[in-house]
Amino acid sequence: MLENLNQNKLIKGYRIVNQHPLLNWLQCLLGLPIFLIGYSYFLYMRKKISYSAQLQDKVAQLHHSKQYEQLLTKYAQQYKHKQHYFNRRVEQTKQDAFARAQANQQIRKLAEAELSKQKVQFMSFTTFFEQLLANRNFVILSFVLGFLIYSLYFIYQNAFVRFVFERFIMTLFVIVSVIVIVFTILYISPSDSAANILGESATLDQRLAFNKQYGLDQPYFVQLWRAISGFLRFDLGHSFTGNEVILTSIANRFPVTLILAITSLFLAVCVAVPIGMVSAAKLNSFWDYSFMFLALIGLSIPSFWQGLIFILTFSIRANWLPSSYSPNNLFSLIMPILVLGTGLAAAITRMTRSSILEVMHEDYMVTAKAKGLSGREAFLGHALRNAWIPILTVIGLQFGVMLGGAAVTEKVFNIRGLGSYIVDKQFIPDIPAILAGVVYIAIAISVVNLIVDLLYAILNPRIRAQLKNN
Amino acid sequence: MNQLYKKKLKQSDLYKHGHFSFVVSLLLATILLVNSYQFTTQTWQLSLFLIAVAYLFVTIFQLVLNLRTRRDILKYGNIQRKTRLLTAFQLGSLLVGNVFTATYAFRALQDDGEIEYTFAYYMFLADFLIIAVTSFNLFKPYVTNYFIPVVFSLAVLLLLDVIVLIWLARSKSVSRKSTRLVRLLPYLFMVTSLTGNVFRFILGYSLLLKQGKRDPANSERWQLFWIKLTKRFTAMIGLLFVIFTFSLSITSFTTFVTRFAVANDYTVLLTEPSLVYPFGTDNFGRDVFSRIVFGARISLIIGMLTTLIPMIIGGFLGAISGFFHRSLDQAIMRVLDVLYAIPGILLAIAIIAAFGSSTLNLIIALSVGSIPMYARTMRANILMIAHLDFIEAARALGESEWKILFKHAIPNGFAPMIVRATLTIGTAVIATSSLSFLGLGVEPHVPEWGNVLRIGSQYLETEPYLAIFPGLAIILLVLSFNFLGDGLRDALDPKIN
Repeated sequence: MLENLNQNKLIKGYRIVNQHPLLNWLQCLLGLPIFLIGYSYFLYMRKKISYSAQLQDKVAQLHHSKQYEQLLTKYAQQYKHKQHYFNRRVEQTKQDAFARAQANQQIRKLAEAELSKQKVQFMSFTTFFEQLLANRNFVILSFVLGFLIYSLYFIYQNAFVRFVFERFIMTLFVIVSVIVIVFTILYISPSDSAANILGESATLDQRLAFNKQYGLDQPYFVQLWRAISGFLRFDLGHSFTGNEVILTSIANRFPVTLILAITSLFLAVCVAVPIGMVSAAKLNSFWDYSFMFLALIGLSIPSFWQGLIFILTFSIRANWLPSSYSPNNLFSLIMPILVLGTGLAAAITRMTRSSILEVMHEDYMVTAKAKGLSGREAFLGHALRNAWIPILTVIGLQFGVMLGGAAVTEKVFNIRGLGSYIVDKQFIPDIPAILAGVVYIAIAISVVNLIVDLLYAILNPRIRAQLKNN
Repeated sequence: MNQLYKKKLKQSDLYKHGHFSFVVSLLLATILLVNSYQFTTQTWQLSLFLIAVAYLFVTIFQLVLNLRTRRDILKYGNIQRKTRLLTAFQLGSLLVGNVFTATYAFRALQDDGEIEYTFAYYMFLADFLIIAVTSFNLFKPYVTNYFIPVVFSLAVLLLLDVIVLIWLARSKSVSRKSTRLVRLLPYLFMVTSLTGNVFRFILGYSLLLKQGKRDPANSERWQLFWIKLTKRFTAMIGLLFVIFTFSLSITSFTTFVTRFAVANDYTVLLTEPSLVYPFGTDNFGRDVFSRIVFGARISLIIGMLTTLIPMIIGGFLGAISGFFHRSLDQAIMRVLDVLYAIPGILLAIAIIAAFGSSTLNLIIALSVGSIPMYARTMRANILMIAHLDFIEAARALGESEWKILFKHAIPNGFAPMIVRATLTIGTAVIATSSLSFLGLGVEPHVPEWGNVLRIGSQYLETEPYLAIFPGLAIILLVLSFNFLGDGLRDALDPKIN
């Protein structure tokens, strides 16, 4: 029965949740109706079946049974044997007292054992609630009321699900906080949007009307709430200039930026990881030095200058590729992708090399070699597998840098993406459009980092083991 | 024996240096050669062609030196006198501005010299480059009033450098001689390092440490650090360029005419590079060469400030969150996580959109974005250090927590911060120029590198050199900081120490 209790997922979740003070508060909040019902039931039951009363009942019951008589004679016999052995006189009164004391003790033990067999034991609310959770009928009956709390238990019973859940909550928190921070920065701006957009000649009434139209006359928290709920409802309102719906503008421009970023990322990984591997495998060779030198140059080149040089070389001088982007021409994406991917590739190459080198000195590499694996087998099977983890982290971090850098690259190649949208809008400055652009990019970055973290947990054996142990 | 020599060759930093110089010189020579040929008109541009030939000559000579060095080491185990004497000719490569082969030559001439010798020749190189670049002003219609006295004193310093260099190369040990003149020398160096040549200050300090009665352990640590750093010649060349840029931004106050860089001159719009205008003139007739020299100052200042400010704020936040209570740690780090989720450039754009574009706002905007990174670095160090014995000992002695943090924990965990800072100055320089290129940040009339490049990018088709040269300046500075950062990381790595 106890085994069964341990296997119940809800109970396991409940026990884990109980250990964390913060989660404990959360479960009280989420499961208030359930707890109220459970607790009143518990109080009622405790009165009815108090443990000590039950025990006394049982003991009294056993006193009148045949077992008691048997025990009495058994202990009397023992006493006699003992006295006999030590050559002492048998005293009747002492014999009776001894036998009764021993028998009473034994009876009490028997009674406790019997009660525990019937699952009646000294009960706290925690154990009582666990029993309720184990009771299928109770769970089904209270499912509507306790849906939230049951899902909480269900999430927390599995370490991996729990990790995903917590990471998810964290991402949500970051996104909301990004909205708050960017909104606040734009809110405390000393410039007056109405004056900027309507121009010097606008009358006070016109400005007030403008402020009213965009809700700029409302207090900070009202505007902030509108911004946050706007993001959740995918309703971002209209931009200050042109009165365009911001969401459609962003939806039109985001795909190019994403395609650019993802292709560059893919290309960078494909190029950089093998190069990093070669550099690490052939340490201090000519190739190693050349690749590392190139990688450092790749880190040091400003992307806009690289873009200009590419345009100069491949478009103006050689006339191979179009110098600016047009949606129907896939070739026009080649140069932006290369430019955007350079810095990323350089960072990944360096990280690959250093993380493989670090892994090479670990104990398990020595073990692998001692086992008789060849250098190549050890390198591919052990070094590479473990070196993946820091590389993945760098990819996640650099993706954010890349999306930020996309603004510059898009400007150079005249791509109408999200980055250039933000830059164009900041000259006005068109507050809702900037807010939306920055937050959407931050969301994209947070999602990528979420994915990276999850992959990290799946790939990293150490984290997997840690999750299992918890 | 042969095996031993082979190993020696493989470990020889000098040989690596020679090889590196050869490859880089070859690369430069090729680039110059290709650029000296006009594909459209199928003609050679004579001046560039001559420089390219000179570079090619230097490269071939370097190859000869490398082969001789290799043979010497494999045959005798050390470099022979004849090869060393031959190396002296490679010093002439300085005349075409090839610092790679020049540093090689200096190094090869006195391979087992003391660390001061290395400082001395880098000091000499920095002074030489400053004078070389400054002397381009001679071709201008007029120079500043201070030009002649300043250049003259720089030349005197250069002469002094040569004397010191020879003295250091000759004498095996600096510490033994202590005439009065030698004892005064460090102070002289420290005063004259006001020209911005930090190598001179380093040399002075190093000499002072050697002859003084200071803590010998201090002196040893100083020596050890520099020995490790100077081993990486790429880091030293990076440092050389950084110091050169720094020194140039200081001396340019007196030697460069500001008018050429900022005042419009409609008689010379968009002229080709020439001796008067080495990098041509832009659409307002401003000398791009002078603009780049003045831009170095702005780029360096913004780069330094946008590194220093977040380093102090982020370092402080990271330190207290790593050292004190867990809840404080959680609170600070979660807030910084949010900042971390916004890419630096976008945050800067948002801040500039809100507060208007100006240099000050740009510095603030870029600083805010990199606070979390420094905080994370510092926190990780402090977390590691907080459990070490000496912290425990300080606590047992009854020191206050704040005092322990600032006197013991932070100084011991500061090395990674320096490395991170050096590596991110480059990023800051790129970010600054990127934002100026977009038209955000530094005011458009200021000769900042990104601004200069933005004007150049409008004439990409007809006058590409207007965009190429400022870009090269940015790359060189950033590359130098990155090389230096890599070298510092290796030199300060606690695993090796």
